[in-house]
Amino acid sequence: MTTSKTIAIIGASGSMGTAISSSLAKTGNYSLLLMSDQTESLPELKSSLEQYHSNTQVHIIDCAKEASWEADIIILATPFQAEKDLAEKIREVATGKIVISIANPLNSTFDGFVTTPDTSAAEELQKLLPNSTVIKAFNTTFAADFAHTVIDGKQVDSFIAGDQETALNTVAELVAGVGFNPIIAGDLKVSRTLENMQLLMIQLGMKYNYNWLAGWKILHN
Amino acid sequence: MYELLIENIRSKVAISEAEEEQLKKYFIPKKYRKRQYLLNGGDICKYFSFVVDGLIRSFTVDDKGHEHVVQFAAEGWWVSDMGSFLEETEAMYHIEAIEDVEVLNLTKPAMEEMLNELPVMERYFRILMQKNIVTLQQRVVADHSLTAEEKYLRLMEIYPKLIHRAPQQQVASYLGITPETLSRIRKQVAEKGD
Ligand SMILES: NC(=O)c1ccc[n+]([C@@H]2O[C@H](COP(=O)([O-])OP(=O)(O)OC[C@H]3O[C@@H](n4cnc5c(N)ncnc54)[C@H](OP(=O)(O)O)[C@@H]3O)[C@@H](O)[C@H]2O)c1
Repeated sequence: MTTSKTIAIIGASGSMGTAISSSLAKTGNYSLLLMSDQTESLPELKSSLEQYHSNTQVHIIDCAKEASWEADIIILATPFQAEKDLAEKIREVATGKIVISIANPLNSTFDGFVTTPDTSAAEELQKLLPNSTVIKAFNTTFAADFAHTVIDGKQVDSFIAGDQETALNTVAELVAGVGFNPIIAGDLKVSRTLENMQLLMIQLGMKYNYNWLAGWKILHN
Repeated sequence: MYELLIENIRSKVAISEAEEEQLKKYFIPKKYRKRQYLLNGGDICKYFSFVVDGLIRSFTVDDKGHEHVVQFAAEGWWVSDMGSFLEETEAMYHIEAIEDVEVLNLTKPAMEEMLNELPVMERYFRILMQKNIVTLQQRVVADHSLTAEEKYLRLMEIYPKLIHRAPQQQVASYLGITPETLSRIRKQVAEKGD
């Protein structure tokens, strides 16, 4: 028993929720709290997560507020459209905590965003949670990438944005722990670019049939 | 969530409603499960924790692996490894939840910001620290000069609610006596009380 960080994954039953919690479970560094409205699939996920590492502790919690209350870090693995209601529920108990925004605020036809160009899903979440530290992460990696953090022989880059240095470093450590190459891209405003990068990736993926297994890599010397 | 803290502050200083509202943003609401560690000895203690619900103990482990309970903290108490928290050095204490626990955690930067912006909280902490020093000094004297029974009675006075909540082995460890001695003293005290 140590003071390992506790992470709440809200929307754990979804593609990203499952992918992120699996990757975190493998590190053995975190206690995980799985939250979803549809809890039927969670016991199975919990037992598979616990097999990844003997240090990994997993609990199922059926309430976003309770899960966030117990957590040190909160990951919203939910659609952008759900975040307003969720923020309302967790606002008070998320005070002083890192909240990771992974959302790409796609419209229903996947050819644009429901947000305006002068903002991003992450900035909107920060407005809803003024006493928390919102960090953008994991929005530029597909769910399938978590099981394949090396594609075509190259480690996939994973971009991070936020306004607070210690929180950025904490999230960078978490991103590196699951196998991606973390790149701190800039302040929270940079989320606009990061979200657009994934819009492009989705469009290209559909056009060229990347099969949802693709990622960004900066080539440099 | 904040009622007990605010009640505690009001018992020491005069605080306005606006200030009560303002101070909430500095505290991280957090829950721990029974037997979870808030702090592992050797780590840097990041929090000064106010206990809203549940019971916590801080303890040291000696070279032989024996645990020594230093403090219990129940509702309305503060707990931390102050040296580690203030100086950012390795913690001497382990801090563990004995029951499921709800706390309000203050980080050092948040605490400093709060003290700057809310002078009333500086007054509150000064009074709190004064009381703590008095208690600590009495504890040091008690450790040397009181009999086991007197120490037990003193503990009953300071932590009246706690004595039946904490595992007896830990109460004995806090008093620096064996669990057998504790059970004998409890019997004696109960008989005297009859
Ligand atoms: N899929 C990807 O590759 C990918 C990549 C990068 C970023 N993202 C972002 O990740 C987020 C999740 O995407 P996903 O593909 O994982 O979606 P998904 O498979 O549909 O999962 C969505 C999750 O959110 C939960 N949820 C939906 N509405 C909710 C509400 N109103 N309140 C609480 N929970 C709610 C769902 O739980 P219930 O079933 O219990 O409702 C489910 O667990 C999105 O914001 C997306 O933009 C996805």
